[in-house]
Amino acid sequence: MVCSGMITRRKWLAGTLAAALVPRAEDRAREPFRLGLTPVFLDNDVRLLDLLREYLEPRLQRPVQLIKRRSYQEITVLLLAGRLDAAWICGYPYVQYRRRLALVAAPLWRGAPLYRSYIIVPRGSRARALDDLRGTIHAFSDPDSNSGYLVTAALLVERGESPGSFFRHVFFTYGHRNVVRAVARRLADSGSVDGYVFEVMRAREPELTDACRILRRSREYGFPPVACRRGDAHKPSIRALRSALIDMPSSPPGRTILEILALDGFAFVSPDVYASIEVNASLLARAT
Amino acid sequence: MRAARSAVRDLPLTIRVPVMVAGLMVVVGTLASWLVLAALVRTQERHVRELATIALDGLAASISAPVSRRDVWETFDALDRLTRRGGGFSVRTAVVLLPDGTVLAASDPGRFPTLRPAPREDWLSQGSEGRAIVFDDAAARARVRYPLGPANARLATILAEIDTRSFLAQRRRVLYLLLASNSLLTLALAGGGYLLARRMLRPLGQLTEAVERMRRGRDPEIDPAACGSSPEFRSLFRRFALMARAVRERETLLRRLAEEERLAQLGRLATGTAHEINNPLAGLLTAVDTLRAHGHDPAVRTTALDILERGLLGIRNLVRAMLVAYRDNPDDRRLSRDAVEDLQHLIHHEIAKRRLLLEWRNELPLELPLPSGQLRQALLNLLLNACQVTPVGGRVAFEARAEPQAASFIVEDEGPGMPQAGRDLLLGDEPLPPEGFRGLGLWTTRRILSQLGGRVACETTASGGTRLRVQVPLARERIPS
Repeated sequence: MVCSGMITRRKWLAGTLAAALVPRAEDRAREPFRLGLTPVFLDNDVRLLDLLREYLEPRLQRPVQLIKRRSYQEITVLLLAGRLDAAWICGYPYVQYRRRLALVAAPLWRGAPLYRSYIIVPRGSRARALDDLRGTIHAFSDPDSNSGYLVTAALLVERGESPGSFFRHVFFTYGHRNVVRAVARRLADSGSVDGYVFEVMRAREPELTDACRILRRSREYGFPPVACRRGDAHKPSIRALRSALIDMPSSPPGRTILEILALDGFAFVSPDVYASIEVNASLLARAT
Repeated sequence: MRAARSAVRDLPLTIRVPVMVAGLMVVVGTLASWLVLAALVRTQERHVRELATIALDGLAASISAPVSRRDVWETFDALDRLTRRGGGFSVRTAVVLLPDGTVLAASDPGRFPTLRPAPREDWLSQGSEGRAIVFDDAAARARVRYPLGPANARLATILAEIDTRSFLAQRRRVLYLLLASNSLLTLALAGGGYLLARRMLRPLGQLTEAVERMRRGRDPEIDPAACGSSPEFRSLFRRFALMARAVRERETLLRRLAEEERLAQLGRLATGTAHEINNPLAGLLTAVDTLRAHGHDPAVRTTALDILERGLLGIRNLVRAMLVAYRDNPDDRRLSRDAVEDLQHLIHHEIAKRRLLLEWRNELPLELPLPSGQLRQALLNLLLNACQVTPVGGRVAFEARAEPQAASFIVEDEGPGMPQAGRDLLLGDEPLPPEGFRGLGLWTTRRILSQLGGRVACETTASGGTRLRVQVPLARERIPS
């Protein structure tokens, strides 16, 4: 009895605490869903952010707060710290924290959740191969970007080099578009850029891409995914987000968003898609 | 220069005043425009300095941290945004130069390569660091060196090249506006000056016309109201009226004297005529006696009648010539050849008395549209004058002929030559003869010819005598063919 009484008391206490501490369903509905966005290429596209919020809110049945930060690292830290419910991050942070993160969905570009990294040079550059860039200035996008850093860094590591030893100077622009600007304006002699961003820019800002030439295309890697904390993976809000993303092509507002992003849609993908990034990350980690 | 000054001096006042006003306006306008432009340049330069200070202070604040950590991209991004900013003030080029002379970043990395020594350009290596702006209007730019960080721990130097084209364009616009407004103002003032000068000088024009009328012997009466409100012109008009009256009185007196001279001449002619009549009279009476005594003889009768006829014809010609010469007939507007021919009879007495040789050529047509009485009076004066100055036994020549638009007369004598005073009187344009001059005949002749619009030229002949050429324009009718 005592025992049962104790259990009863504990149950009562737990129930009381739960009632006091855990928000009720209607209270949760008023809390915004916080979605982090990295500057994949969404530079100051206020219209896209509005459309995305307007598209997600009825589907998640909650207000949606879109949070942007300058670097990938800031978004990753916020996500890991539980300050974000989900975030569109790069494949590199995903593989770095894959034990703590789960995939929500991955964008489909040209029919697949894959993209490449480009090494670009100014159009007038005489460089024909990577070796021609030795001793020059190179622009990276972000130290946590796969296409804007890891791919080129791993390539150099494979050759027994490092960005610091191979290039005379490297700098980070914290944006793929900025890498294209830096190379087009000849601030840098070359740059590492997201192939998807570069191809989209060809149509939208040809004056920048026309001033550049692609020196090297990498193999295909997993497209930057939308991820959440592993523990939240089965939450209804995350499932609702996944459904909303995957259903995007079936509604006009969703199609508009995809059109702006130049994507075909979203899909639930296996973590294996990001295995090649993980290989590069390991390679770089060992080298440093 | 002198010719130009003389040309300006020869211009009428109504043109000179507006030209001078326009010249003054050009000088004043140029000076005012220069002052306005100089003030505008000063204002613009101050404006550029202020804007440059604001822009570079803002830039310095935003790039101090990136420069201190040698962040190429952040520095470039700030420079790029600064140089791509629109508006009237624009920075064409901006460079961040590290203390060792290396370019950290520039808005134009192609021209200033990143992390390379700065190109050898004067403005990168020279110039004060006191943020002084050096303006170069020829290149439409202003350059400034802006130090980043304190002097003892200099982070870098910002070198900025400011595009001053918009300021220069504004300056040009102001210049064109000034030119246009000054030109319009100058034209308006010159036009106003012209109208004002014309209005002010209108009384002078009236006075000039009155003087000209007086010179031509017409009524110089002037409307006192035409002098306007100017006290100077009122006084001038009053004095002119007084002068005109004095001249009129003197002219009347002279005309009377001339008339007396004419009557005196008539008296002399009458005396000569009496001789002219008296001379044949004895022969005529003798012819009458002969007729009375031997009239039955046909031969004697015929001879006596011939003598009578010649004598009477001579007397008739003489009397007719005098009648024509001294009959007042203002309606006589046609000069006949015979009327000129009759002048021979009027001077015959003088010719005969001084035993002169008269060469007479009258080639005039039957009639000419000229006032006969006045012209004959003038020619008679000249002929009598020629007879009087030619020594006894000398030669006097007269020639008359018609030209397409004028009648031309020559009177030539063998006298000692016309004295200067006589020439001045005959050829000059003084309205009145000088005081005390005795020679109203010449003055009357000049006056008559002047009224007829004629001209007199005076030449000295080979023998030292005088040859007068008189040319009188015909009235509107043409010479009969």
